[in-house]
Amino acid sequence: VKCQHYPPARALQASAALRRASDEHKKEPLTSSSQQHFDSPPAGHQPEQEPQGPHPSYTGQGGQESEDYESEEQLQHRILTAALEFVPEHGWTAEAIAEGAKTLGLSVAAAGMFHSDGSELILHFVSECNTKLSKLLEKEQKLVQLGEAEKKPIDEFLRNAVEARLRMLIPYIEKWPQALSVLLLPRNIPSSLNLLTSMIDDIWHYAGDQSTDFNWYTRRAVLTGIYNTTELVMMQDSSPGFEDTWRFLGNRVADAMTMSNTASQVQSTGEAVVQGLMGAAVTVSNAETSRAVT
Amino acid sequence: RGLAAGPEMHFGFQTVTEEERREKIYQVFENVAKKYDVMNDSMTLGIHRVWKDILMHKMNPCPGTLLLDVAGGTGDIAFRFLNYVRSVRQRQLQRKLKHHQNLSWQEIFDSYQKDQFNSLGDSQVVVCDINREMLKVGKQKAQHLGYSEGLSWVLGNAEELPFDDDKFDVYTIAFGIRNVTRIDLALQEAYRVLKPGGRFLCLEFSHVSNPLLSRLYDLYSFQVIPVLGEVIAGDWRSYQYLVESIRQFPPQEELKAMIEDAGFFKVDYENLNFGIVAIHSGFKL
Repeated sequence: VKCQHYPPARALQASAALRRASDEHKKEPLTSSSQQHFDSPPAGHQPEQEPQGPHPSYTGQGGQESEDYESEEQLQHRILTAALEFVPEHGWTAEAIAEGAKTLGLSVAAAGMFHSDGSELILHFVSECNTKLSKLLEKEQKLVQLGEAEKKPIDEFLRNAVEARLRMLIPYIEKWPQALSVLLLPRNIPSSLNLLTSMIDDIWHYAGDQSTDFNWYTRRAVLTGIYNTTELVMMQDSSPGFEDTWRFLGNRVADAMTMSNTASQVQSTGEAVVQGLMGAAVTVSNAETSRAVT
Repeated sequence: RGLAAGPEMHFGFQTVTEEERREKIYQVFENVAKKYDVMNDSMTLGIHRVWKDILMHKMNPCPGTLLLDVAGGTGDIAFRFLNYVRSVRQRQLQRKLKHHQNLSWQEIFDSYQKDQFNSLGDSQVVVCDINREMLKVGKQKAQHLGYSEGLSWVLGNAEELPFDDDKFDVYTIAFGIRNVTRIDLALQEAYRVLKPGGRFLCLEFSHVSNPLLSRLYDLYSFQVIPVLGEVIAGDWRSYQYLVESIRQFPPQEELKAMIEDAGFFKVDYENLNFGIVAIHSGFKL
C-alpha cells in the first residue's frame, strides 16, 4: 500500500532514480524495452534499478534522495538539451525530442510533453545561445576591468558579439531556416521576440551603453536590424567559413556608425544653426533698440 | 446477499456490490460483443472514429513505440496505431533514401530489401481485455482486415495487469475506464507497467458543462440510445447501463485528480465536442 501525501511541489523520483542508476552504470547502457519482449522475464542483463525506482514512496524520508529531486521544468530542460544533438539529423521535430528522451533513459513517449512542431526545442536552443553569449560578454568585460585586455571600440565590439552569437548556429545551419519559420508562428512570436530583444539589450549593456534618452530605442532598433539581416545572409552563405557573412556584418556595423556620426553631426549643425539664428535675432533687436534710442 | 459481499457500488443507476458489478459488466460486454462496432457507429453517428483518430494524433507515436491498449476489445485503437506508425516509418525511410543521393543502384536495392521487413520499425501493440468475447471479435477483425505484425491479444484485468513493471511506452484505455470497478487500482497498474517517461492516455465520455447542450445530450442518451440498442443489438438493458454509467463517471477535474494521485505528472485533459468526450493525458516522470 503506497501512502500518498500531497506535498505542494512534487519531485520526480522516477527520473532521480534513473539518473542515479545511469550514473552508476555508465558503461552499461539502459536497454530500451523495445528490445525486450514483455512476456520474457528480464534475465539479469538489464542493470539493477534502484530499489525505490518504480515504487517511490512520497513520505520523503529518503535523506540522500532529496538533493536529486528535480522539478518537471528541469526534466524538460534536460530532455531538450539532450535532443539538440539529434537536430542535424531529424530537424526541429518531435522525433529529435524523442531521441533525446531515449538517451536519458526515458521512454520515447516523453516527447508527447512538448508540441509536435518543435517550438519548445527551438526556443530552448535560442535561450541557451543567449545565455552563452551573456557569459562570454561578461567574461570579456571582467578581463577589461582587470586590465588584462584592451577595451574595444564600439564597432569592433558589436561586430564580435554578433559574430559570436551567429557562430553558435553553425552546427544547426541546415535546419535553421525551418526553425526561423517556426519562431514566426503567431503562437511563438511573444516568446521569440522577447528572447531577441533581451539578447540585443545584453549586447548593448556590455557595450557600455548607458543612454536614457531616445538613443536607447534607436540603438536597439539598429542592432536588431543588423542582427536579423546578417542572420538571413548567413542562411544562404556558402563561402568557406562564412566569410561573406562576416564581411556583410562588418559593412552593416560600419554603416550604423557612420549614420550615428552623421546624426550627431546633423544635431550639432542644427544646434549651431539655432544658435546663429538666436544671435542674429538678438543683434537685430539690439540694433532696433539702439536706433530707437538715438 | 450478505453484508460480507463487499462495498456498495454503482452499476448504472443501480446500487450493487463490487463482485456483482464485475459480473454484470462482464455480461453486458459478452452480450454486445458481436454488435459492438455497429452500435458504436450508430450511437455516435460515426463520430467515435474521429475521436479515436484525435487520440492517435495526440499520441503521435514514433516507430519503436510499445503500446498497451487496455480494454481494447475489438481493436480500434490498436489498428489505428499500426496504421500510424507504418506511415511515419514510410516517411522516415523516404527521407533516409533522399539523403543517399549518390548510392549505386545495387546499394539502393539492398536498402529497400532490408527495410521491407521492418515496415513497422519495431513498434508493437498489446491489446488487453478482460472479456473473452470482445477479444474474439477483435482477433477476427484483425484477420479480416489483414493486421498480423506487431499485434498481440492478452486476456487480463485492468486492475491487475499480467505484465512486468516498466514495460510500455504508452498506455491507452479508450471508453474502458468507465467499466472498471476500482479505477484507482487501474490507474496504479497503469503507472506500474509504464516505462519512466511513459504516457498514460484515457479517452472517455465525460461531463458536458454547457447547460443547453447538456439537456439535448441527456435527451438523446436516454431516449434514443436504448431504443437503438434494442433495434440493432436486441438488448436495450446493456445500452441503458451504458448511458447511466456515463452519468455516474467522475467529471474531468475529478478524474484528473485521480490520475495525479496515482503518481502521474503533467496531467491534462482535452474536451472533445464540448465535453461529451475527454482525453486525459499524464506522464510517468
